[in-house]
Amino acid sequence: MLHKLLPLIISLGVCSVAGADTIRATVNGMVCGFCATGIEKTFKAQPEVKTVDVDLENRLVTIHTKQGQTIDDAKIKKLLGNAGYSVVAVARQKQ
Amino acid sequence: MQENDETGHTVSLDYTFTPTNAFGLYFKQEENGKEILMLTPEFNTLLKRWNLPDGQGNIFNMTGAGLARYRGDNQPCLWTAFLADYESRRWFFSYEPRFVWDGDIEKSVWQRARIGVAPYLANYNDLNTWIMFQVDHHPAKHDHFVATPLIRFFYKTYLFEIGYSSNQHIMVNWTIQF
Repeated sequence: MLHKLLPLIISLGVCSVAGADTIRATVNGMVCGFCATGIEKTFKAQPEVKTVDVDLENRLVTIHTKQGQTIDDAKIKKLLGNAGYSVVAVARQKQ
Repeated sequence: MQENDETGHTVSLDYTFTPTNAFGLYFKQEENGKEILMLTPEFNTLLKRWNLPDGQGNIFNMTGAGLARYRGDNQPCLWTAFLADYESRRWFFSYEPRFVWDGDIEKSVWQRARIGVAPYLANYNDLNTWIMFQVDHHPAKHDHFVATPLIRFFYKTYLFEIGYSSNQHIMVNWTIQF
């Protein structure tokens, strides 16, 4: 019985360790909400992304990933670049 | 997008197929002079963008080639425009020269400049309001400047502008992004 439950216990443990990411990208050129809707649309289309928030005042795009998933800096810079903006910095927080 | 102003009525529908390029259909019914109808495919491209900490500058080109119709006469037509703009969350400036060749009907150069100020700094999910002042100069129509004070509102993907020109035309423009 125990050997059947062991893989399940291990996988549940791994899931709890591999949490979600909160990623904050500081972006230049993001001054207009009408234009920045492209950012929201682009990130919402990514399978790793749970939610995305655009903050014009602080020039921040905050991305919350799904549990156990992440999105690397290169992809974030590429997506924001394609949306027409320049990434200044990316900060990460594990949850 | 639809624009109704002192130069006439314009409708365009564009599909953005790369981050810097869009292709669409452009229809214009000119007024305030020769009443010319134009129907052209159009190609819009972002030539250059400057992303700054507190602002953004752009240079766009829009070009179309198709047919112009005036008093039952169809002529090939070609137009191209360059739009340079700079905007921060508080200020907006733009300048757009436009060159139009309507076959034997008319050849014209037209220019438009805008300045705008946001009375409050709206964030992404707020209704954005801009107070703007537009000046048009279209020598083929009338050799004087036309001034149009206007108000721009946008919320998410909806933009709406309303104004009233110095030659007594109501301006109503709207744009929806899908």
